[in-house]
Order: sequence, then C-alpha cells, then structure tokens
Amino acid sequence: MKNIFHVSWVALLAALLLSACGKSSSPPSVADKTVAAAEQQAAQNTLSVLATSDLRDVQPLEEMVRKATGVTLKFTFGGTMESTEQVLSGKTTADAAWFANAKYLLSDPAGQARVKLQEKIMLSPIVVGVSESEVAKLGWTDASRVTWKSVADAAKSGKLKYALSNPATSNQGYMALVGVVAASTQKADALTAADIDRKAVADFLRGYKLVGDNSTYLAEKFIEQQGVYVNAFINYESWLMSMNQSGKLKEPLKLFYPREGIATADYPFMLLAENKRGEYQKVVDYLKGDEAQTWLARTTLRRPVNAAAANAVTFPTGTLIELPFSPDRGLADGLIDAYLNEFRKPIASTFVLDTSGSMNGGSRRADLITALHSVAGADASLTGRLARLSSRERIWMLPFSDRVGAPTYFELPPATTAANAQKKTEVLGEVRDYATALQMRGGTALYDAIIDALTQMSVEQAKNRSYQYSVIAFTDGESNQGRNLAQFKEAYAALPEDVRSIPVFTVAFGEASVSALKEISKMTGGRSFDARTTPLPAVFKEIRAYQ
Amino acid sequence: MGGEPGQLAIRRTQFRVIIQAYNTTATNCMNRSVKALITVGLLILLGGVTFWALRGTQQDQIASGQAPTLNLPGLRAMQTVELSGLIALDVEPFFKDPRVIKLLTDNNVKVNPTRVGSRDMAARIALVGGPDFMFPSGIVAANQVTDAAKRANMNATQYTVFFTPMVIASWQPIAGILQANGLAVPLQPSVYSVDTSKLVAMMQEKKRWKELKSAQAYDVNKSVLISTTDVRKSNSAAMFMALAAYALNNNEVPSDRTTAEALAKKIADLFKRQGYQENYVNGNFDDYTSIGIGKTPLAFIYENQMLSYALARPLQADMVLLYPRPTIVNKVVYVALNEKSKRLGELLSTSPELQAIGLDYGFRIADSAAFSQKAQSAKLSVDEKLNNLIDPPSFEIMSTMIDAITREMSQ
Repeated sequence: MKNIFHVSWVALLAALLLSACGKSSSPPSVADKTVAAAEQQAAQNTLSVLATSDLRDVQPLEEMVRKATGVTLKFTFGGTMESTEQVLSGKTTADAAWFANAKYLLSDPAGQARVKLQEKIMLSPIVVGVSESEVAKLGWTDASRVTWKSVADAAKSGKLKYALSNPATSNQGYMALVGVVAASTQKADALTAADIDRKAVADFLRGYKLVGDNSTYLAEKFIEQQGVYVNAFINYESWLMSMNQSGKLKEPLKLFYPREGIATADYPFMLLAENKRGEYQKVVDYLKGDEAQTWLARTTLRRPVNAAAANAVTFPTGTLIELPFSPDRGLADGLIDAYLNEFRKPIASTFVLDTSGSMNGGSRRADLITALHSVAGADASLTGRLARLSSRERIWMLPFSDRVGAPTYFELPPATTAANAQKKTEVLGEVRDYATALQMRGGTALYDAIIDALTQMSVEQAKNRSYQYSVIAFTDGESNQGRNLAQFKEAYAALPEDVRSIPVFTVAFGEASVSALKEISKMTGGRSFDARTTPLPAVFKEIRAYQ
Repeated sequence: MGGEPGQLAIRRTQFRVIIQAYNTTATNCMNRSVKALITVGLLILLGGVTFWALRGTQQDQIASGQAPTLNLPGLRAMQTVELSGLIALDVEPFFKDPRVIKLLTDNNVKVNPTRVGSRDMAARIALVGGPDFMFPSGIVAANQVTDAAKRANMNATQYTVFFTPMVIASWQPIAGILQANGLAVPLQPSVYSVDTSKLVAMMQEKKRWKELKSAQAYDVNKSVLISTTDVRKSNSAAMFMALAAYALNNNEVPSDRTTAEALAKKIADLFKRQGYQENYVNGNFDDYTSIGIGKTPLAFIYENQMLSYALARPLQADMVLLYPRPTIVNKVVYVALNEKSKRLGELLSTSPELQAIGLDYGFRIADSAAFSQKAQSAKLSVDEKLNNLIDPPSFEIMSTMIDAITREMSQ
C-alpha cells in the first residue's frame, strides 16, 4: 500500500510540474510527459481497499472490477475491531474500506470524518447453525420460537456447544453477545452499558467451545470436530449456507434466526481518500449493478441490495426483527472487557523463548523484549486490550538455547477487588522485568523445548480443565541442538492423547525456517506467524484471538 | 432567506403550490394577480437593464480591442461559466443526468459538482478556493450555509429549485395496526394519513408494538419509533425534529429559546432510543428497501426518495406511504455563493426543461399535474393535496435545538 501512496505522490508532483511547465516558455519533452501521464494513469486507476476478513471470498471481484471498470482493486484484510481502529486512527493508507459492519466506526465522530462516502453493497444476518440431528434434542423444533435466550439456556445446560469468532475482535462474536444481553433484558430500545446482564453472558459462554479469529480457521476446525466437541456454529447466514453447500460437513446445519435478535451485516463500501472519488464511484456503481450483485448472491450467498438480483438465490423468508445497534462505547468496552477478564475460559500458556546467541543479531533481542513488554503493558486501544495479559491468566516462560531452561511461572489474579487490581499491576511488572533480563547465548534446541512445553501443559491440563491451554514458541533459527523434526514428530506422537487439544503457535523472526514451523503449527492445530512481515504486537493480538 | 425582490417574485409564482399550502396557515398574503403583475414587470425591467448593460460593455470592449468580460448574472451568453459546487446525494443523480448536462452546456454553464453531506457544507464555506455554490438536500442545511456565508462576509443567494414533503415509508401490516389504534386513516390504496401528534405521543410513552391493539401482524417487543438519519449530520432528521417539536409544543411552532431547549431534551430521546442512525440521507431508506419491516417499520424520508425508487423498479406489494398530518415540506434550495453562480440558480429554478427533469427524480415542482402524472407512471399512490402543512421553526430556533440534541446524544 505504501507503494501506491508513493506512486500517487510522484504522479501528483509530475502533474504539478507539468502544469507549471505548461505556462513557462520551455515546454517539457514529449517523453517526460508520457512517463508522467502513465504514472498518473496508474495511480488514478487503482483503489486499495481495507476489508474485514470475512470478505476474503470476494477476492475474485478484483479481476471482475478491473475488466468492467478499468480500476485495479487491491484488497488487504483484517479483523473488524482492528480495521476499525486502523481507520479511526488514520493509520491505514487504504483508499477505501469495506466492512461487514461499520457502525463501530461511524458512530465515532473521528470515524465519520474519515469516511467521505458510503454505500451498502449486500446483507447477511448473524444466525445460529445447529447440526440437524441435534435440533430435536435441543427442543428447537419450532424455529420461530428460538431466541438468544434459548441459545444461552442451551449453552448453560451443556447441550449447545458452538464455534464462534472471538467477541473481542469480530463482529459476529460481539453481536452474539449483544443479542444475548438484549434477550435477557427484554429492552425495547438500544442497549446501554447499564443493561449488561453478566449472568446471561456467562451462561451463553459456557457453550463456547471452539474459539478462533477467522471464519476459515473455525470452519476447518468445525469440520474436524462436528459431532464430537461441537454441534453448532454461530456466524453469518452466508457463511453457514456456504458450509452446507461445501459438502464437507458430517451433517448439514439447520439455520436459526433468533427471534427479535437479528444483527445484519450490511457491508458498506466507504471512501477514505478524497482524491479517489472517481475510482470509488465506478467501483460502487459496478458493485451495485446487476452483474456483481448476482455474482455476490450466487457465489458468496449474501443477500443483494439490488432488487434486480433478488432472485439469483432463494434465501429463507420471514420477517427478521433487527436489534437496534447501540453506539454506546461503554457497552462495547464493558462487554469486551468482561468477556476477556471475567467470562472467557482463562488462558494458560507456555511462552517458549529462543535465547540462543543468534538472538543478539540485529534488533531481535530488543524486538522480543518489546513484544513481551507490550503484552504485559497497558495498550488501551480497542485491540490492545485483547493482546494484553488478562485477569486469571497463567503463564510459564520457558527459555531455551543449547538445552531447555527452567520455567518461570506467573499468575494474574481475577479482576474482583481493588487489592487484586493492584496485584495484577505488580505481576505485569514482574513479567516485564523477566523479559528485560533475558540473556542470549548458545544454540537452538527448539524442538526439545516445544516437547517439554507440551508435556508440561498436558500435565497442567489434566490437573485443571477450566483453562484454555496453548504453547507459543518464538524463534529466529533452525533447530540445531537436541531432536530434529522427525524425532519431534515421534516424540509428539508418543505424548498422551490429551495433548492434541493444545495448539502450538509459532512466531518466526530472523532466519527461522518457516516451513518447519508451519508444519509444527499445523500438526498441533495452531497457527504460524512471521514477525518479519507482521509487527510482534500485532502477532500477539492475532494469537490471542485463537486462544 | 435573502434574495432580491425580483428573484423572490419569480420563486413565488413558481412555487404557487407551496405558497397555497402555506397560505392555509399564513395570515398576510398578497393577491396572486398582483404578484404575477409585479413579476412580469420586474422581468421586463431586468431584461431591459441587462440588455443595455450588455450592449454598453460590448461596445466599450470592442472599442478597446479586448475580449468582453461580463459580470452580470444571467447574461453570460458569450462565454461558458465553469462552476464548482458541493452537492448533496439527493441531487447528484440529477446533475449526472446527460439531459441536464446538455441543457446546462447549451446555456454555457459547466458544473463540477462534488458530493458531500448536506450538513458538512457550512463548515467548508470559508475554505480558500472554496466552491461557487452549494446545493444541499434541504432548507435546514441551506439556511446553515447561508448563515455561514454571512459570517464569512460572503453574499449568498438562495433559489428554491424543487420541493418534496416529508413522509413515512412503511408497510401494509404496520399501517393496519396504526389504523386499528386510531392513528392512521386510509386515503387511497397504499396511502394513509397519520396523526402526527398521536404518533409522537405514542413514541414518547415508549409503547411497544406488541402492546397495541390488533398487533398480531407485528407483535414484537420493539418500541414504536420512527427511524431517522442522524440529526447531527442530516437534513431529513432535522425535519423530523421540527415536526416532533411542533407536536410536543401543543401544535405550535416553537419560537423562543427556552421552549426550544426544553423540547430538544424530549426529542433527543426519540433519536437516542433508536440506537445507531445512518448519517447519510439514503442510509435509512436503503434499510427500508433492502432489510425491510424487521429493521424499519417506519422510516422518515423525503417523498421523492420513494418516487424515484418506484420510477426505477416495481415496488414491493406491501410498501405504503404514510403522510403525517401535519407534515413539513422540504424545499431543495440552491445557494449561490458568488455572482457567477447565480446564473445556475436561475436556470435550475426557472427553466421548464430542467424543472421537468426534476420530476424524474421524484421531486415536486410548480406544475402539480405533471407531478401527479409522474407518480401514476410509477404506479405509486401519493397524497397530491398536502393540505395540512407547517413551517419549520426559524433558523435560530432550529440551530438551538440541533445543538441541544447534539449535546444530549454525546452523553
């Protein structure tokens, strides 16, 4: 994106020079003009778009838009909260933004000032998909009577075990919480922070068995675990209909539209860069036209806004009573904070830290320390709260070099009293001190360290199942001490069966072999991240969303 | 509202329908034939003066060997006037219409419009190299622009181009419930009148739909509330504010600050309780047409939004229009910010061809028969007569109320 920005400045300068030259007595050469004009043309015909990650399935539009309008669309994707923050702060260099739900952004005066124009492109309500064979067991045979209250009750009783995107980072997750709160208060108007019914939220979250940050990851896991650990998926209608069509599910999902509790994503396409009005308008006209609307309806199963495309796909009919969206920041802050610090299954994780000598190279040591500091710090931004260590969390720091070091344990108290809040601050300080004192020397016994961490986590898990266990490994190099990859696989296979539920997240920097790290993550159900392309604090935010 | 006597007279004859409607409440009114005579007289006078002025200038300049430079409005026949302007979303399709572009070109006017929110316009008035004109979506925003221009020592001139009444887009089942509860009266198929005071009172009382009589068709927990756009940002929501203020003020237009402040507090609640409100004019109407009764049982819109929608595609069978009694007519006002942009204002408000094109975007014009025909061609029933209209409060009172509501909403 930086590149586009750069090109547009070049073009602008060129244009200024041209116009200045035009008036002077010595006109520029024809060649100069051609180059400048071509650069201007290139900048003029591009539109970079920051889109929420659930829109990955519209990527083919890049080609369609280019063919139809000559404008080159370039998508980059991010979570709803993260993208909202990018636009609010003005950090994004994107020319346009396309969010499932921009109401978080547009209810903030700063956000209103950033958004120059907006048009809704398509619709998809957030619904509850339940494995067909489970519907009768839940007593949900009359679909029209199912409310968010029914969902929370079923979750509380242990009958409903669902997959859902993280409420702290995603629109689906957050709106599901809002639906539960609205149903429990029976309020007729927009909710406020005072309406948060903690018990209802806690009941609902008892059924939250499959956590993740993006729908693709959740879908993969859901396909594996359907009928075993999970029997429901809360997501956009379009996503659940697509899963039903994919043929990959063990059995289809029946969709429930919670009575009086619908939150519809309306996908506004928003202009951010004033100088891109022309391109923006062309793209919007195309997206709202018959061709794109029909394609969107057929391929992505989102409901079209253009009536001409209404018959492309048959969507379930019936009146969907929409929840009013509350612009109250206190409600959002309260719900997300409560989710992270009180309601969610608390996190227990081992941080496997590479302290080999190569970590002294470049800024690696400093980067790692900064990242740990920010995790134990006070980033108050929308997404910063997510990356931060939260109340009730348990952490083991496990350094390794030639061989695996001794773990250091930290535990954050629950956020119940002022004394606990004080204690939390102290523990966070200890974590930061620990990071500052890290010394780097020797080789890289990476696989040994991960096996040790998994073994220990599995022991902890057997003792206390009320935590969400995981391992996060940071490394800059290929393992050159202890086990090799093949021996790691052997050792992993020999661990107790229980360890399969503990994902290993890997974070590469320096010269780390990404392919080996990816393999480990995949094998254990985690994700691999590359700190060379994504800043470490951002990596943390992502990891946390999967925990 | 400003403007020279000549312009005022032209606008008056042209907007006879509005004036007639206003006459029902207005107390002083000139005899119509007298007005027409004055208009004709002024037109002849203006024509004569400018003819001589033009001749004179041309002769002088030809004598000195320079190209003629003219600076009288209405007389740029010799050179093209290029105008930059800020326009509202509502009038954008009109300006993009090839017929409009051609008519303007034939009249030597070239327009470079940029679309921005109506209520963001006033803030842009003092920008260096600012626009020549602004064409917001309605009278409230136009008055804000004019006021801002005055403060910036600029000479603003208003021209009323089109008008359209504020209506409530709704659904057959909802209209049925309102009728059963004594709030609505059917006027024609798919057209109802609704009692503004009773409806606003019901909203104030926080009645829920399911608590109403015969509410089986919409027995939901939601409050009876009219959806609007964001009053801090948009003209149409300000019109709702004006209407609600009248109803809550015992059917009187509020005229003093104290009353206005007190009313604003009550009205703020009617906005706040809706939750998030779209801050661009089409947001609310888009929700009505695409999401439907589940989100917007009652949507406060400009009549022209519904008509231009109906002109483009068939309406859904259960869509209905409710005409609040009383309601407010929104005047779509062009504001010239300098001499050269006056020509466009005159063209827009007086050219019969440009006026007729306005019909295609659902606006009402002086020719009420033409409007009726247009509505019939779209198979949209409308209330042609609009026989119960009120004026919005003065600019100062409107500003007072908007400011007070803005403060309330940010709490």
